[in-house]
Amino acid sequence: MKGYHDIVGDGGSRVLEQVAGQRARIADGLAGVRHLVAVGSGKGGVGKSTLTLHLAGALRALGLRIAILDADFNGPSQARMAGVQGAVFVPGRDKAALPRTRNGIGVFSMGSVIPESEALDFESAAHGESHTWRATREFALLSEILGSFEWGALDLLICDLPPGAERTVQYADFLRSFDTAPNKPRTSFVLVTIPSAVSRGVVARSVAALTKRSHRVLGYVENMSGYYCRDCDAIKPLFDSSGSPGLEIPCLGTVPFDPELARHCDFGIPFEELRETPVGLALNAVAQRLLGDLDKERPL
Amino acid sequence: MKFLCVPCDTPMKLQTVGPPDRGSLSVVYSCPECGYEMAMLTNAYETQVVQSLGVRIGPAGEAGATPASGTKCPFGAMVPAAEDARPGPGESIPVRWTAAAEARLANIPEFVRPMARTGIERFAQERGALEVDEKMLDAARDFFGM
Repeated sequence: MKGYHDIVGDGGSRVLEQVAGQRARIADGLAGVRHLVAVGSGKGGVGKSTLTLHLAGALRALGLRIAILDADFNGPSQARMAGVQGAVFVPGRDKAALPRTRNGIGVFSMGSVIPESEALDFESAAHGESHTWRATREFALLSEILGSFEWGALDLLICDLPPGAERTVQYADFLRSFDTAPNKPRTSFVLVTIPSAVSRGVVARSVAALTKRSHRVLGYVENMSGYYCRDCDAIKPLFDSSGSPGLEIPCLGTVPFDPELARHCDFGIPFEELRETPVGLALNAVAQRLLGDLDKERPL
Repeated sequence: MKFLCVPCDTPMKLQTVGPPDRGSLSVVYSCPECGYEMAMLTNAYETQVVQSLGVRIGPAGEAGATPASGTKCPFGAMVPAAEDARPGPGESIPVRWTAAAEARLANIPEFVRPMARTGIERFAQERGALEVDEKMLDAARDFFGM
């Protein structure tokens, strides 16, 4: 009697063919992307999304072609922060055009699709079992987004990751699978922490998980590293960082908390207006450092 | 998954995929040698495995290419709400879509299609147009897109 491998094809379901087709469509869509930088942490609430957007703004101000993929499908915030909540998705010749911000950054965020009054709710054939399939559905959605939008020629595609050390590694594995040259990774990671021991401890787990699987971690950014007092025009301490565990990756820079930055995020005001403030200068320094490190040929 | 007709030792061919019924798919195979037919009836978990991959079961471009559940769109419950948000016939003059423009709309993910349609129709109306054609799509792309 014939066995599975004696029969050519996949029995007519075309499942394997379609999965291969999806991957080819993603690879084709990302072909013009020079660097894919995933901004993660492991810890929630440390400002990954804020940093992603404003880092993108700083890089855009340097003349680079930038797009953001908000991969936090459960808490998408880029749409509001980038001012593309009411974005119109326009069909191109083959794929959908990416909505852009006022300063020319392409942004895909589920926040442009689902109103803030709704939660992302995947339908499940197995009723009451949606939790079992959640991660798989999210990655299927990520595949569809990557394969269905025109990413075009980009210097950087910045991917805003969801919280969770384990999720960070899942995304890392997924994104790396589209790197084109085995010894020259296109996908790199920037981790975000705040100075607290709790945050650094969680980020340390993400670093361990990523480096164990040989992902390229460029370093970390310490966000909310003091706060900028406009009255005093000085940066004052916000967290007691004594006793915080060290992170065995380079520090790409520190960014102070600025309430004005939060206001910009709430109302989708572009980065340009903050360029000369301490937070703007700090973000610009991180952007410069990031660019320098991205182009270094570093071993894994 | 492949099926083999044991008496003929011949791979069976997928014939039809029945519409999803309470999370179950009916996939009919037949043997090209002896004509014997059998149906694979999936339970909800098996259906979900395929659905999670975001693919459709069955031959390309045929009616048998059936989504693993009622819809491929993961936000089925929300998209109709977006459709409902479209202006009714009495609220504004309807905008026609040419076949070519409709074909382009069909290329983009299902979950953004209703929003795209609404936004582009509004864009067309603001320019005094009653039809969305490929030129209008290109103009909208230049206006809104990256």
